[in-house]
Amino acid sequence: MSDTPRLVLDVRDVSKSVHGPEGRLDILDGVGLQVEEGESFAIVGASGSGKTTLLGLLAGLDTPSAGSIRLAGHALESMDEEARADLRRRLVGFVFQSFHLLPALSAEENVMLPLELEGDAQARDKARAALEAVGLAARRRHYPAQLSGGEQQRVAIARAFVHAPRLLFADEPTGNLDQRTGHHVTDLLFALNRNHRTTLVLVTHDAQLAARCGRHIELQEGRVVAEARA
Amino acid sequence: MNLLRLALRNLRREWRLPELRTLAGSLLLAVLATGMVATLAARVERGILASAAELIGGDIGISAPQTVPAAFADEARRDGLAIAHAAGFPSVAFANGHSQLLDVEATDDAYPLRGKLVLADAGGRQRNAHGPATGTVYLDHRALVALSLRPGDTLQLGGKELRIAAELVQQPDGGSLVALAPRALMSLADAGQAGLLGTGSRAQHRLLLAGAPDAVQRWRAWAERQTLPQGAELITPEQTQERMRTAFDRAGAFLHLTALLAALLAGVAIALSAQRYARRKTPEVALLRALGTPRRRVLGLLLLTLAALALPTALVGGLLTLGAAQLAWHFASTLFGGIPTELPLLPALGAAAMGLAVLAGFALPPLLRLAEVAPVAVFRQSLARRMRRFDALYLLPVLVALALIWSQSGSLQLAGILAASLAGVALVAALLAALLLWIARYVAPGAHPALRLGLAALARRRGLSVVQATALALGLTALLLLSVVAPALLDGWRRELPIDTPNWFALNLQDEQRDSFAQTLARIGADQLNMMPLAVGKLTAINGRPMDSLHFADPRAKEWADRQLRLSWADTLPPANRVIAGQWFAASPAQAQVSVDRMWRDMFGLKLGDTMSFDVGEGHVDARIASFRQVDWSSFRVNFFLLLDPAHAGALPHTWLASFHLTPGHAQAMAQLSRNYANLSLVDVDDLLARIRQIVDRVGDAVRWILAFSLLAGALVLAASLAASAAERRHEAALLRTLGARRAQLRVAAACEFALLGLIAGLTAVLGSAGAGLWLGHAVFHIDNFVPPLAPLMLGALGCAFVVMLLGLAGTRKVARTSPMRLLREG
Repeated sequence: MSDTPRLVLDVRDVSKSVHGPEGRLDILDGVGLQVEEGESFAIVGASGSGKTTLLGLLAGLDTPSAGSIRLAGHALESMDEEARADLRRRLVGFVFQSFHLLPALSAEENVMLPLELEGDAQARDKARAALEAVGLAARRRHYPAQLSGGEQQRVAIARAFVHAPRLLFADEPTGNLDQRTGHHVTDLLFALNRNHRTTLVLVTHDAQLAARCGRHIELQEGRVVAEARA
Repeated sequence: MNLLRLALRNLRREWRLPELRTLAGSLLLAVLATGMVATLAARVERGILASAAELIGGDIGISAPQTVPAAFADEARRDGLAIAHAAGFPSVAFANGHSQLLDVEATDDAYPLRGKLVLADAGGRQRNAHGPATGTVYLDHRALVALSLRPGDTLQLGGKELRIAAELVQQPDGGSLVALAPRALMSLADAGQAGLLGTGSRAQHRLLLAGAPDAVQRWRAWAERQTLPQGAELITPEQTQERMRTAFDRAGAFLHLTALLAALLAGVAIALSAQRYARRKTPEVALLRALGTPRRRVLGLLLLTLAALALPTALVGGLLTLGAAQLAWHFASTLFGGIPTELPLLPALGAAAMGLAVLAGFALPPLLRLAEVAPVAVFRQSLARRMRRFDALYLLPVLVALALIWSQSGSLQLAGILAASLAGVALVAALLAALLLWIARYVAPGAHPALRLGLAALARRRGLSVVQATALALGLTALLLLSVVAPALLDGWRRELPIDTPNWFALNLQDEQRDSFAQTLARIGADQLNMMPLAVGKLTAINGRPMDSLHFADPRAKEWADRQLRLSWADTLPPANRVIAGQWFAASPAQAQVSVDRMWRDMFGLKLGDTMSFDVGEGHVDARIASFRQVDWSSFRVNFFLLLDPAHAGALPHTWLASFHLTPGHAQAMAQLSRNYANLSLVDVDDLLARIRQIVDRVGDAVRWILAFSLLAGALVLAASLAASAAERRHEAALLRTLGARRAQLRVAAACEFALLGLIAGLTAVLGSAGAGLWLGHAVFHIDNFVPPLAPLMLGALGCAFVVMLLGLAGTRKVARTSPMRLLREG
C-alpha cells in the first residue's frame, strides 16, 4: 500500500514513445510529479506538448513506456487493463472536452452509468442527488440533444462525481464552452472539489483556469519545463 | 481535378473499408445467383422441350385433317430445317384369314426427326431405325399376336401386300398414354398409292420439323402469322406433354424463387453497407461542403466512386457466371444430352444488369441523402442528420425489390406471396424490436445489470437496432426458406411420385378377364392395381339442344364435341380429384348424374344442373351435372374429364382400364402377359416417370448450387448488419471502459444484446418462412397437404440466434479491447 498516505498520485520518470511511419516518436520524456489528496492540479502546455497523453497515463487509461505511476498507492504499470478498469471504477471520475454523454440515455440515466457498473442499487437516487447538486434536477428526463453545451457538461460533471471518486480527471473541461458558461462549469468543478475533498487533475491550455488550481506544471515537447503554486 | 480521376483515387484509398468490400461482395453474389438461375432455367427449359420433341418426333410441326400446304415446308427449307411428313389413320389389315383394325402411321424415311423409332427383328434384337421402305411395314406386338404373324410374313393393308420388316417396339407417339388399337407403321408413298390418304379418308396429316433453336423459332413466328388450313393446328413441345410441362413450371418456379431470395439477401447486405459507408463519409462530405464544393459535385463524386466499384464487380460477376454456368451444364449434360452448350452471354449480361439495378436501388438512397449534408455539420455532427418523418427516397429499395420479385419470379402469384411475406416479416420484426425497446424502458431498471446494459445498448441505438433486427429477420427468412422450406417442398413433390407410382397401363380389358388378369399380375409381383371402367361415346346434346346447333366461344369446344370421348364412372371421388362446386354423387340418384372437369365447364360454359346427353355404342344417357371437379392432371393416375354415376352408367358398353406398378426386370413376364391377353394394349410409362424424377433431382441439384451463393449472401447480411453498429459500439465501449467497466461486463451485455436481436430475428423468420412456405406449397407448387417442417425451422431459427450471438460476441472481443484513450484523443 501507499508509503506516503497523503500522496494520491506519485509519478516518477515517466516516458511514453510510439512507433510511427517515421520511426520512434517520444511524446513524454522523464516526467515526474506528485499530487496530494484534495489538491487541485493543472497540466498546461501548447497543443502537441503531451498533456492529454500524460492525463491518460495518470488515469490508467494507457501504460508508460518507462517509469512508474502510483495512483492511490497502486502501481499502475504492474496492473493489467482489467485491474486498472477496476481501479478507475472505484476511485476515478472523468470530465471530457466533448462531454461524451450517450445520446439515447436521459440526463439521469447518463449519470447512473458509473453506479450501474458497480451494481449500486441506489443508483437512481444518487443520480438525482448529483443532478440536483449541479442545478439540473428539473432537466433529469431530458436527452443530451435537448440540453445546451453548458448543461451537457454539468451532466458530465454530475456523472463524474456521483460515485464520490477520490480523483477527478478533467480534459479541457471548458474547451467547448463560451467564456461565461465555462466560468460556471469551472466554479462548479472547484466547489465539488472542495466539498467532496476530491483531488482534481485537469488539463488545459487556459492560463486563467490553471491559475485557479493550487498548483500547475507546464509541459513542452513532453518535458516538464515549469512548476508553480497559486 | 477531373471528377472521374478523383473518384478512382477515392476508391483506391477506401478499398480497405469493410463496408465497401461487403458492398462489392454482395453485388458479386447477386449477379452470380441471378445469372446462374437464368442460365440453368434456360438450360432446363430447353432440356424439357427437347424431351417433348423426342415424344413428337420433331421440334415443332403442323397437324391437319388434309395435306399440309407446301408453303409451310418451303418456308422451313428456307430456314434450313429438316422436314418429315407423316399421316395417322385407322385401317383394317388382313392376314391368315384374320382381320384387325390397326392404328396406322404412314411416314417418309426422314421420320422421326427427334426421338427414337425402335424395332426388333425376329430374333428379338433391337435397333434404331427410320420410317419403313416402300413395300414394308412394322407392326407392334399386339398387332402381330392379333393377326398371328411374325416379322418376315406379309399382310394386306389398304389393298397393298406389305412385308413385315420388323416388330415395332417404340415410336415417338406424342406421349399419349392411350392408344386404342394395335399399331402399324407403313411408308407414306404406299399409303398414298393405296388411296388411304385421299379426300374422305380420316387421316390426320403431320408436317414435322427440326433444326437449330433460332431457325425453329423463326419458322414458328412465321407460321403463327399464317392462316392455318381448316382444322389444322401447330404441334408444339409445350402443349405435347402436360405432365412434363407441370414439372417444368414447378422447376422454373423453384429456381427463380431461390435466385430471387439470394438477390434480395444481397440487396439487404448492400443497403446496410451503403448506410454504414454514408455514415462514415458524413464528416468528409460536411468538410467538402464547408470548403465550398457544390452539392452536385459531391454527388457526382459519390456516384462515380460507386460506379467505379460496381461496374468492374458486375463484369467479374458476369464472367464468373459464364464459368459457373459451363460447369453446371457439364454436370447437367447427362440429363439433357445433345443440346448445344453455347455460352449464355445474354443471361450473364442480364444478370450483371440486374445486379447493378439491385445495387442502385439499395445503395443510392443513403448516398443521395449524404450529398445533402449541411456544411454546418462540420461544426456540429448532430446537424448532419436532418429529421424527416417520411423520406420518399427510401421507397426506392422497396420498388426495386418489388420489380426484382416481379421480373424474376416469372409468376404473379409467386411474386405476390414473396412480396407479402417479406413485407410482413419486415413489419413484424420492426414492431417486435420497437416493442422490445419500449418494454426495455420499464424492465431495464430492475433487471440484471448485464441484461440492463444490453438493453440499454439496444435502446441507445434505437433506430439502428430496429434496422438490424429487420435486416437480420429478412436475411434469416430468406435463408430458412431456401435451406428448410425449399427442400421440404421438393420432398413433397418427390412424394407425389413415390417409388410405387403406377408405371404400366393396360387398355381394353374385358369384364370376364378382370379376375384372371389381377391374379396373373399378383403372381408377377405387380402392385397398386387399380381398374376403372372405360366407355367410348359422343356428346350429342346439352340441355336437349343438339351439339350441331350450339355455338361456343372457345374453339376447342367444337373439336371435343366432334371427338370420341372417354367416359368412366366411380362411386367415390377418385384421388387427385377435388369437387369445387356441387356435390359428389349420392348412392342411387333418381336421374343419371355427371361430374365435369373444370376445363370442360369453362370450355362449354356449363352450369350445375345442366343436362348432357351421350351416345355410348347402342346406349344413351342423359345426365344432369351434379358437380365440377378440379383434376390434378400431373398425377400419374387415370383421370377423366367426365365421370358418370355408376348406378346409371354401369350398363353402358365398356372395357376396363387398369393401372399398376411393376418393378423393372419383368420383360419376359410382360411379354407372356401380352401373348396371353392379346386384346390388351400395355403401355409402359416408366420412361416418362423417370424423366420427371430426373427433373426433380436436377432442380434439387440446381437449388443446391444457388443455395451456396445464398448462404454466402446471408453471411454477408449478418456481417453487414453487425458491422452497422460497430463504430458506435467501439465509442461506447471506450466510454464504459474509461468509467471502469470490466471486459466481462461488456461481453455479457453484448451477449444479451445480440441474443435479443437474434431471437427477434429468429422468431420472426420462423413465422415468416413457415407462413410463406405454407402459402407457396398450396398456391404455387400445388403440393397437397404440404406443411412446412416446423421443428427444423425452430432449430434453424435458434441456431441462427445463437450464431448471431456468437458473432456479436466475437465482434465484441475487438470492441472490448478498444483503448479508453480513444475518448481523450477524440476530445
